[in-house]
Amino acid sequence: MKTGTAILDVDDLHTYFRTEHGVIPSVNGVSFEVREGETLAIVGESGSGKSVTSLSIMGLIDSPGKVEKGNILFEGKNLTTLGKKDYRKLRGNEIAMIFQEPLSSLNPLFTIGNQLSESIKLHQKVDKKTARVKSIEMLRHVGIPRAEKVFSSFPHVLSGGMRQRVMIAMALSCNPKLLIADEPTTALDVTIQAQILELMKKLAKENSTAILLITHDLGVVAEMADKVVVMYAGQVVEHTDVYTLFSNPKHPYTKGLLNSTPKFHETEEVLASITGTVPTPSKMPKGCKFNPRCPFATEVCTTQEPVLREVADGHKVRCWLYEEKEDAI
Amino acid sequence: MIKFLLKRVLEFIPVLLIISFIVFSLVFVAGNPVALMLPEDASQEDIERLTVALGLDQPFIVQYGKYMLDLVQGDFGKSFRYNTDALPLVLERLPATLELAAASMIIAIIIAIPLGVWSATRKNSSLDLLATGGAVIGKAMPNFWLGIMLILLFSVTLGWFPVSGRGTIAHLILPAITLGTGVAAEMTRLIRSSMVEILSQDYVRTAKSKGLRNFFVVYKHAFRNSLIPVVTITALQTSTLVGGALITETVFSWPGLGQLLIQAVNTRDMAIVQASVFTIAILVIFMNLLADVVYRILDPRIKYS
Repeated sequence: MKTGTAILDVDDLHTYFRTEHGVIPSVNGVSFEVREGETLAIVGESGSGKSVTSLSIMGLIDSPGKVEKGNILFEGKNLTTLGKKDYRKLRGNEIAMIFQEPLSSLNPLFTIGNQLSESIKLHQKVDKKTARVKSIEMLRHVGIPRAEKVFSSFPHVLSGGMRQRVMIAMALSCNPKLLIADEPTTALDVTIQAQILELMKKLAKENSTAILLITHDLGVVAEMADKVVVMYAGQVVEHTDVYTLFSNPKHPYTKGLLNSTPKFHETEEVLASITGTVPTPSKMPKGCKFNPRCPFATEVCTTQEPVLREVADGHKVRCWLYEEKEDAI
Repeated sequence: MIKFLLKRVLEFIPVLLIISFIVFSLVFVAGNPVALMLPEDASQEDIERLTVALGLDQPFIVQYGKYMLDLVQGDFGKSFRYNTDALPLVLERLPATLELAAASMIIAIIIAIPLGVWSATRKNSSLDLLATGGAVIGKAMPNFWLGIMLILLFSVTLGWFPVSGRGTIAHLILPAITLGTGVAAEMTRLIRSSMVEILSQDYVRTAKSKGLRNFFVVYKHAFRNSLIPVVTITALQTSTLVGGALITETVFSWPGLGQLLIQAVNTRDMAIVQASVFTIAILVIFMNLLADVVYRILDPRIKYS
């Protein structure tokens, strides 16, 4: 296990959206920390609040959304109280982000070079010429052939994998301390996925960049992560290291996710699934938010909400099953 | 680009042929102008003689053929009223109309771009509602009413601008505002809705995540993307401004094409009507071509084909 200092410390984060249909608590009391050079994966289904968590860290939650409560400490600085100007200095410089859709994440009207050198010019305060040299260097670094040509190309002539490489080049161009990757490989086909993950891993290691990886793909988690946070309905339900997650998952939801992943050596024809769907904010169940879908739900699960409790060293679970055991000991 | 332009210019030919046919047919069905040209007590014989002299007794196809033959030589016929060639009369009025159209467009753009972008970035705020509400009113105000109100306030009461005519910049301001208000209103609404859509695009989020200042995110990354529909409307509106400034030109006695056209219609001075409509049609075609060229400059994804 790596023992670097925590560069990102998210503490009791609440991000709410105040809409016409009432308040939607997309992120509801999420805490975790990311240490230097470490990769933390946030896993969950669509609507679990993982993307909103990452955008909250970037300070990119748009109205009517708002970080209502909690702290986000980046290298000791509290981002929730940071001024707009200081936040901008951080964004794309110390904290960078890669998004899910490389197709739509690049501006179609500007060349790759224009978009890539933009943040280099902004944060490193260099002239156009130097920015160009650095950009081409960066493109080569992420494995793009004919970097000069790509520099002056428009995004639409590049393939999805190439565009994601460009996004990675853009994100890493200022050597950020933290890279937030929101489903970086979801839109790519499988062979390209592996290449992109490999590339991210390599580059992050070179600069000891910490990665906050948002994904719903447990394969990607196994490949990349050191630690894992499992989110469900805006809350952390399990938090542990990657080995424990796969060998000794505790929360019924985590178990369900693992069971519903096809395994190479198994010949079962029917893939297990978690019944039901993620509850909508207006129909949030009482007690444990997972109880309507949980095969182990008891009465207490439907009335009272469990807390996130440490069941072993560095392994936290939000579930009544383990609460009782703890009490019994 | 040159190949593309050449191709587009060649495409003009059939369009112009169709326009010439429509213009000629409309005039043909509008009736015999001879009755208007002669005094009321003219004898039947006089009428017939003039009809023959003007070639109006010939069948439609013969008249059209003659008309086309003259047309390719740039001859639209003689104005009955002014007794000179129609085309020079029209072309003489064109600069005044273009001047008014350009001034109105500049006013519209100066108002619409900041206002549209501003309300899109503050979507659903009270300021946004005020701007979009104002745009509805601006669009709904009839030109003749707005023109007269402006004259009453700024010319008659305050005496800041001349009441009518053309000559100095001061003469231009009120008619340009009258004509530009409606265009500004429509453009504001269009830029707003276009920007609202673009601002939610992934690449705008990417731009923000780079730490760019909001001004650059909005005006560099979002605004240029929102321009395609705006260019389309601007081109169409400019054509309308050239052809449709009839009312404004009449209110301000602006000696433009619109005024000439209205007088010609009233007096059934068909050569002038034909020459005017034809000139306006060419301007519309030209504006569309210009829009096509601008698209290609704005968006590299649009190929020259």
